[in-house]
Amino acid sequence: MKSLIKSVITLVCVCAVMASLLAVANIITAPIIEKNNNAAANEALLQVMPEGEGFEEIDISKFELPATVAQAYKEANGGYVFRLVTTGYKSNFIIMCGINADGTVSGAICLSSNETLGKEKTFGENFVGKNSDEVDTVDIISGATKTTEAYRNAVKDALNSAIILGGGSVDIRTEEQILADNLSSALPSANGKFTKLFIVETVEGIDKIYGATNETGYVCVVGEEFIGVDNNGNVITETSAENSQNIAAQIAKIKSSTIEKLDISGYTNIHKNVISISKTASGNYVVETKGAGYGIKGDDTYHPISGEYIVVRVSMTKDGKIIDCLTVSQAETDGIGSACADEKFYGQFVGKNESNYTEVDAISGATMTTDGYKNAIKYAFDAVKIIEGGSTDAE
Amino acid sequence: MQNKSNMSVFLKGILKENPVLVLILGTCPTLATTTTVTGAFGMGIAALVVLICSNVFISLLRKIIPDNVRIPCYIVIIAGFVTIVQMIVKAFFPVIDSLLGVYLPLITVNCIILGRAEMFASKNNVVKSALDGMGMGIGFTLALCGMAFIREVFGNATFAGIEIPFLVPYKIDFLVKSPGGLLVFGMLIALVYVLTHGKAPIKREFSCAGCPSAGSCHTGSCQLKGDEQ
Repeated sequence: MKSLIKSVITLVCVCAVMASLLAVANIITAPIIEKNNNAAANEALLQVMPEGEGFEEIDISKFELPATVAQAYKEANGGYVFRLVTTGYKSNFIIMCGINADGTVSGAICLSSNETLGKEKTFGENFVGKNSDEVDTVDIISGATKTTEAYRNAVKDALNSAIILGGGSVDIRTEEQILADNLSSALPSANGKFTKLFIVETVEGIDKIYGATNETGYVCVVGEEFIGVDNNGNVITETSAENSQNIAAQIAKIKSSTIEKLDISGYTNIHKNVISISKTASGNYVVETKGAGYGIKGDDTYHPISGEYIVVRVSMTKDGKIIDCLTVSQAETDGIGSACADEKFYGQFVGKNESNYTEVDAISGATMTTDGYKNAIKYAFDAVKIIEGGSTDAE
Repeated sequence: MQNKSNMSVFLKGILKENPVLVLILGTCPTLATTTTVTGAFGMGIAALVVLICSNVFISLLRKIIPDNVRIPCYIVIIAGFVTIVQMIVKAFFPVIDSLLGVYLPLITVNCIILGRAEMFASKNNVVKSALDGMGMGIGFTLALCGMAFIREVFGNATFAGIEIPFLVPYKIDFLVKSPGGLLVFGMLIALVYVLTHGKAPIKREFSCAGCPSAGSCHTGSCQLKGDEQ
């Protein structure tokens, strides 16, 4: 028993002595070890800001920064370094971007990515020395639009974030967010849910009309103005009397519009890619056509991968002026040709006629999709001409 | 053992009882850390420091520590010193820390240190224990550096990270890999044997004298079998 107690006490004493020695060693070395570890972590930061010193991570949850900002570091001389996670052609596109105290980019590198072309590896060099006004002068690389655009937007986010962290304010909302905010403030009763109306009547003085999903009214876009209209056609936001009168009239016109589907089986010379044609009481046409996109060999070659056409809905007056245009469905290459489903692309056809509809900006890197789309529109023009009794050179 | 001179206690670790090449202790860190001279040197010095400290400490406490808890006590002491060395290396030699990686904390279970504690420090006075630790540590460091020199220079055509241009076309990649390490290890053991025992191994009669269990065996039957062969 005695020897057991002695053993236990000895062991405890030995442990205590060693523990105190360890504590002393730890007190001396811990700050140095931490400094070393920070130096290793700072290596990536120094790559984008070679003259930076004293980096400190910022708690970004306290600021409203763009969603791409994953981490932010403040540098002793007033600069910032941001780690940005964005999506280019593929997701998890990670960029490190340093912003100098004077608001110019000190460097940008891609830390990791799943992009296909490797353009992101050196693209960051183009941004060095640019400020937020000049960043748009960096050209997107054709063929790697998604990658380089995402890169440029990430650098823009970094520049904006630096301004926000420096106490300034920047509108960091995306275009969609700005649109959604404008729509909601014009018609609060819609609870923020809108769909863009497909217009079949010629409307004067209105650029775009959005309908509330819960059918409580409309929002008309006139230039920069967003004008709310309730279900009875009364303008509810403040605007000029002239606008308000016109809008009320136009909304009434749209609401009273009736549409009837035409039987086109009798018209043998209408192109087979025309799916359906409808006519409004006012004499306008709504045509749905399909065009063969990527992989096109002839006018009606199926998409080689998906077997899907691009289906386009076009409304036009009887003399062939496009009132509205919409991509109904498409299965083009994701991230490239799929841009034909963006309003940015198909919105270009609005107001065009047969002589100038081809003058739209093509989708970068997706010439075949663009051509297929234009073909679909051409079939619509031809079909309307045939029904109106005019001549056509449809094959 | 008590009557041995301090000098011989110190010197025996370097060649005659070299922990790696004669006692064949600590083979694992030997093979793992000898791909670069820098790493081998760092490992050797770290083990040297731990050896001296733990030998001195254990020697001081050899009369206090009861026999039945001596191994736990040794382990605590050794682990403590290893951790201290690890902290110092991390703080002041981060390059060596990244080279040694996990083998640095593993010095705790390095047979050399526990072996010397058990075999020597627990039976000898402080001065002798310190000298023994120093000798063994230097022996360990020299063995490691020698091995690393061969492996790095001929295997990777570099010395302590500096490229040796005229050797680059004649790199023997095999030496840097584990089997190559074992090969070099074996050759060095042979070399040390030749240096300590003379050129030709003494041709030993196959008798009870060479049998590890000769002491407990009294039948003499093995003697007979040995002779027949």
